[in-house]
Amino acid sequence: MERRVALKSMALAMGALANLPAWASGWSKSSLAKISFLSADQSRNLTAIVETIIPKTDTPGAGELGVGEFVQKMVKDCYDTNTQTNLSGGISNLDEQSIQRFGKSFADAGKEQRLTLLQEAEKSTDASQKAFFGLVKNLTIQGYMSSEYVMTNITHYELVPARYHGCVPLKKG
Amino acid sequence: MANFNIDSKKARTYDAIVVGSGISGGWSAKELTEKGMKTLLLERGRDVQHIKDYPTTNMMPWEFEHRGRLPKEITDANPIASRCYAFGESSAHFFAKDNEHPYVQNKPFDWLRGYQVGGKSLLWARQTQRWSKYDFEGPARDKFAVEWPIGYDDIAPWYSHVEKFAGITGNKDGLDSLPDGEFLPPHELNCVEKYFKEQVSKTYKDRHFIIGRAAHITEPKQVHLDQGRAKCQNRTLCERGCPFGGYFSSNSSTIPWALKTGNLTLRPHSVVHSVIYDDKKGKASGVRVIDANTKEVMEFYADIIFINAAALNSNLILLNSTSSRFPDGLGNDSGVLGKYVAFHNYRATVSGEYEGFLDSNDDGRRPNGGYIPRFRNVYKQDTDFLRGYAAGFGAGRIEFNDESGLGESLKAGLHKTLYGNWSVGSHMMGETIPKESNFVALDKTQKDAWGIPLLNISVDYDDNDEKMIKDYMEQVSEMFVQAGFKNVKSNDNHRNPGNDIHEMGGARMGKDPKTSVLNKWNQVHACKNVFVTDGACMTSTSTQNPSLTYMALSARAVDHAVKEMKAKNL
Repeated sequence: MERRVALKSMALAMGALANLPAWASGWSKSSLAKISFLSADQSRNLTAIVETIIPKTDTPGAGELGVGEFVQKMVKDCYDTNTQTNLSGGISNLDEQSIQRFGKSFADAGKEQRLTLLQEAEKSTDASQKAFFGLVKNLTIQGYMSSEYVMTNITHYELVPARYHGCVPLKKG
Repeated sequence: MANFNIDSKKARTYDAIVVGSGISGGWSAKELTEKGMKTLLLERGRDVQHIKDYPTTNMMPWEFEHRGRLPKEITDANPIASRCYAFGESSAHFFAKDNEHPYVQNKPFDWLRGYQVGGKSLLWARQTQRWSKYDFEGPARDKFAVEWPIGYDDIAPWYSHVEKFAGITGNKDGLDSLPDGEFLPPHELNCVEKYFKEQVSKTYKDRHFIIGRAAHITEPKQVHLDQGRAKCQNRTLCERGCPFGGYFSSNSSTIPWALKTGNLTLRPHSVVHSVIYDDKKGKASGVRVIDANTKEVMEFYADIIFINAAALNSNLILLNSTSSRFPDGLGNDSGVLGKYVAFHNYRATVSGEYEGFLDSNDDGRRPNGGYIPRFRNVYKQDTDFLRGYAAGFGAGRIEFNDESGLGESLKAGLHKTLYGNWSVGSHMMGETIPKESNFVALDKTQKDAWGIPLLNISVDYDDNDEKMIKDYMEQVSEMFVQAGFKNVKSNDNHRNPGNDIHEMGGARMGKDPKTSVLNKWNQVHACKNVFVTDGACMTSTSTQNPSLTYMALSARAVDHAVKEMKAKNL
């Protein structure tokens, strides 16, 4: 995502009209940031939540790939107000638990501490807690799997396959 | 009052006028202009030019803000369009919006519309099967609706004519219930589909499974290159509009072709109010148009008028075309205009899994599926319901990820594709019986934003449809079980009529002016210079996806119209 910004500023620095490749003009973290309905703190916590669900390893995690912003945008634009309330309530709830147990905000807690809190949320029998966890996990997976990074480098999406073969030996994943 | 100050009557006079630029209107315009007719093509929506006006066509999945899903604000405002399988973030701009184009549902009916140059030809599912002689003979044999005034032999050469130009992929299967056409190379069936084909042939003498016939260029011929179209690239993103022109649409094919003749004037934003009838001449003299944006009322004149506004809108225009000669709508001496509307019954599906071919997969994407032609009551009546159904059939390997857990284990699961069984699925395409009680009519009080009466739609399923649904579920489930498929389930989704997007009839063809609106040349019986060649003209519905038949009827009717005009009979 930072590469996009770099490309744009490079193009501008060269005094050229930015004639960017298609992939550089889609949504980016900066364009998504404009759609927040959560507070700045909640947004920071949400990014920490998605990063805990799919963390950075030798490849980027969901936080870095802008999935937190994606989750927020989806809930704001595609879901009803109950779901929106449930999302912000669920984030605040996790944050309070983190402060109670570890003395710091969820976003500032350690990786293992954050994982512990989310695993407990996953096991919760409370209906709204369950709904919150399910929503965030599903949208995180969707946002991550359909991110430019993953579709380009991991799952190798083809816009133009230019073929159909009915039967080929299975490529073991 | 029409404004005649700006241009003279002469400047608004053409040899022919075509109303609507979708599949059938595009064909009417192409054939008329090729025959030298100065033609005005009227479209109520905006212009959509091939490639240039396909804003989403080359977007990557991650470039869609909501990854294909539409914001709630849009789905809430468009409950009807939202029920269409093709309505999504990449294609919503090609659908008419519910709240802008109201209609009255006396019974639930999902009316799906594409109001732009190209109409629904940008959005269609591109399946193109010919009707057989058994389809045309249906009403006469089974004593419903009225007899078709034409048979398979009348339309066969016109099927060939349109297939060659449009580019149809298919396999020559040699079935009398589904005649072969002028085919480009067929798409391949995959492992499980090939297996199913063998099983069906082995188990049933009278049932077949074939690869679908579809409007895709699998191998371009010169005529396709001349249209500026190229080989289909298997993107399966067709509803966005195709940058290769790989599938047939008015936008990629017939309209640019018509424009190249120099004989076409395309006028978007032109809502047709009615056909103008000239009492003195005893024929139609033109059409009354309301500019979609300015609401200005204008008149255009021509010797030949083709109504191709889409089935129900063509009915609306004819019903709204009243004169002292035709107080109940143009050509409505019989009183049947707007009646005997029918559609396709797509309510039921059957699904299952197959546990074989686990070391195989298919590769790439295919803009086509498998097809089971109608096998019920084809040669004689042998069930407790009339007619029958065709069915789609397709198989695909189940691919999934382990989404359990959280953190690094989840991530590892997401990076590894797992393969399950093959999923198999079928959907029904049932013929419905046209009835007088299934009709459309003008609303007596409510009007749209252009002052045109709203359409009242009273169309519903009947007992014959319910029996057919049950039979489809039983028979196709049995075929699945016979083939060794597991976990076989059938489902009735109870979708509304209209959701099939194959509404037909209302201005049906027939031999007798007392019981039909159009003759065997798609001419209005009592007003010979008005032709209707879209879904409105259909006497019965058969089971095949109807667009190819509209194309053929349009080309055939234009050929007749121009001959008649030259013989001074119009």
